[in-house]
Amino acid sequence: MSGPILLAVCYGLLAVFVAAFVVRSVRIARLPVHLRWELSPIPKEKTRGRYGGSYLEEYEWWKKPREESLVSELVYMLKEILFLKALWEHNRRLWWFSYPFHVGLYLLVLAAAVFVLGSGAAAVGLTGPEWGILRVWLPVVAGAGYVLGALGALGLLVSRIADPKLRVVSTPVAMFNLALLLAVFVTGAVAVSTVTGVVGHALTFGKALLTAGPMPAMPGILAWHAALTLVFLAYLPFSQMMHFVAKYFTYHEVRWDDEPMKQGGSMEREVQQLLDQPVTWAAPHVGADGGKNWVDIATQEVPR
Amino acid sequence: MSGPLRIKDIGLREGQRLTSLDAEKLIPLPPPYDSTDEYPVFKELKPEAAERMMCNLDGVVALSLPHPESPEHEQELVDQFAEGLRKLFTKENNWTFLQPLTLALEYCVGCQTCSDACHVFKASGEEIYRPTYRSEVWRRLVNKYVKKGGKLMAPLTGADVDLNWTTISRLYELAYRCNLCRRCAQVCPIGIDNGLIAHELRKLFSQELGWAPRELHENGTVLQLQVGSSTGMNQVLVKDNVEFIDEDMTEETGIEVTTPWDKEGADVLLIHNAGEIMAWPENPGAFAIVLNAAGIDWTLASEGIEYDGVNYGLFYDDVQLARIAIKHVTAAKDLKVKRIVMGECGHQHKAIMTVADRVLTGELRGVQRESCLPLLEEIVFSGKIEFDPSKNDFPVTLHDPCNIVRNLGIVEPQRRILRYLCPQFREMTPHGVDNYCCGGGSGFAVMSPNNFTEWRVGVAGRMKFKQILDAFADQPGPEVQKYVCAPCSNCKGQIRDMLQYYGALEKSGITYGGLVELIVNAMVDVKEPFIKWEMH
Repeated sequence: MSGPILLAVCYGLLAVFVAAFVVRSVRIARLPVHLRWELSPIPKEKTRGRYGGSYLEEYEWWKKPREESLVSELVYMLKEILFLKALWEHNRRLWWFSYPFHVGLYLLVLAAAVFVLGSGAAAVGLTGPEWGILRVWLPVVAGAGYVLGALGALGLLVSRIADPKLRVVSTPVAMFNLALLLAVFVTGAVAVSTVTGVVGHALTFGKALLTAGPMPAMPGILAWHAALTLVFLAYLPFSQMMHFVAKYFTYHEVRWDDEPMKQGGSMEREVQQLLDQPVTWAAPHVGADGGKNWVDIATQEVPR
Repeated sequence: MSGPLRIKDIGLREGQRLTSLDAEKLIPLPPPYDSTDEYPVFKELKPEAAERMMCNLDGVVALSLPHPESPEHEQELVDQFAEGLRKLFTKENNWTFLQPLTLALEYCVGCQTCSDACHVFKASGEEIYRPTYRSEVWRRLVNKYVKKGGKLMAPLTGADVDLNWTTISRLYELAYRCNLCRRCAQVCPIGIDNGLIAHELRKLFSQELGWAPRELHENGTVLQLQVGSSTGMNQVLVKDNVEFIDEDMTEETGIEVTTPWDKEGADVLLIHNAGEIMAWPENPGAFAIVLNAAGIDWTLASEGIEYDGVNYGLFYDDVQLARIAIKHVTAAKDLKVKRIVMGECGHQHKAIMTVADRVLTGELRGVQRESCLPLLEEIVFSGKIEFDPSKNDFPVTLHDPCNIVRNLGIVEPQRRILRYLCPQFREMTPHGVDNYCCGGGSGFAVMSPNNFTEWRVGVAGRMKFKQILDAFADQPGPEVQKYVCAPCSNCKGQIRDMLQYYGALEKSGITYGGLVELIVNAMVDVKEPFIKWEMH
């Protein structure tokens, strides 16, 4: 494949990643307001959050100020994000694989940020000794990420095959996702450990991407790694692996959404629009005729 | 069926059961309930009943679904199900839960963390009761039959479940093997809610096919909307019954008990689960004693459905949920009361206080809604009533109704009362928001068709019964009278059935009741013991 075509393919894959990521995230965010479906514990509850209590414990709760703590919520989130606390507490066996897998990914996100920074520096000609630190730390951080990620992915893959209770719900796509990530991790680990001047090669590649410059020739394993990584990124937003975005919504928009609707507020206006929609459920007791909206259905005489 | 159970088995082997329950696989109970004689017996359906209704899941029949009349009828029902499946993902038909449902569809990673959190699965070890089994069947159906290109992509997405009569008839029963307690959602690292999926399946069956348990629908929400109460009591009868309770309470306690009705502008409109009036009259009686003694300006209401806080729509049908909640709050607004206070009924709390919150618009938002538990705490610690905690000096443990505790976060008020008034109060393990469901949740407590009671008590309730026994392990014998405090009507019904089933009053001296009864029992002005050590 010639250089410009290769560059176009790389841009195409990155564009798919960005566009699909944004579209899928926005789509979840724009789903309509739903009925309250909160679930304790809600960590933003100051003091009460520790045992799962809520403001509804207060006598005449509507007259009392809500006592919320952003710090408690952040601490809860950090424990979950950094340590996978829920899995540690409730599924320890899987945690031993899932944790290195996720830490590997976190390290690689960090390494990717350093890679972009370093590539940018190289693109604008910053090659002073202060940037040399990148050449030391980038392979260390990325290498650790690849190794931990590979160990975790392998463990998860084997678990899905060997453990009957996991196997029964493991679809071909789920197995493919893990295999693809394992391939990314393994090629990365091999590249970091075997390619001489791997950081230089990587930064030259990054510089070419940032400047649309000529694509450098890369050692085979590094080229494979780059190709797999870009394919993975383009595929990611279409996969279940977007659960790191979904998790924000399952927690903040569902479990922790305990906000009473305010009279005359924006939520009430949205709800009124939703209630104005026609209902087409077919069961006789619903009494829908395609024209009646939710308000009609809920307030008119109930069909017998 | 031989070999490990696969998800797609739900639609295979027409006419056979997907699994058969094995009582010996149930978790063991402590003595004297540990012998094989004590295992629940899952009765077979009588042949004539088996001919009339579908029995192809686990040998238990909660729903009495008749066989289709003809192959054409069967296909029509399957098509209707497919249509309902699509409607679950339309904004106009299911805005009420579209976001959480979409998240539950797309992002479960199949880690099975939820399995051990489920009391039904943990008690039985049955694969079909894993929270993910039902969800994965549903997910694969959606992936194959609702998503564009679903059939084409099925080999990759693993969407291998066939949509046929066997699948939907089994799935209908399976939607009623979950108590909707949401303990599984609580432990899910991603936040996926398998309880919600069971709930949405029930909705699909009800709102599209018109299928729902008779106890919840015809004899539940429909009766309530027609007559005023799912108990069948009309306005006249409920007033008669409460008057009778007042007389009884007056005679029993020596305190003049009167219940005010339809008092315009009252500070508190108390709404009981009307089942209390019928089955546990001491509970509304105790409320009247406490509220009167504390000088609360309160009333019951007889308009419309206002004397029955039940809202079974919460368990299976958004339309019925909205209809009932709107009627409750509209009547309160018309009576110009300051607030509605929920009696000791968990699902009533959840339905009116939170889930229906966003269907109450405009003027209906002017009526505040509150749990009885903070009100009772306020009264107990106000100094307006004199208490003698030594009158409650017997072992007491507390059951946490899922709908009040895990789902609403009302954890401590009831505990502060019990720690003050009950010297021998002890917690179950686990408790609070981590509690186990009683096994009667989501309407099961009022469902006893065919052989469902054995399952409800023997499987769904087994974990709770074990917790109760463990809480009293220091004094297990019948010579010490013990009390399970369950501030929820449905939970009480389930606990009553469990204690009766195992003969726990005779063998272990365990009875049960609400919270307000313990408060009255500790009142200095109430001379005779209010708690009765009998099965009621």
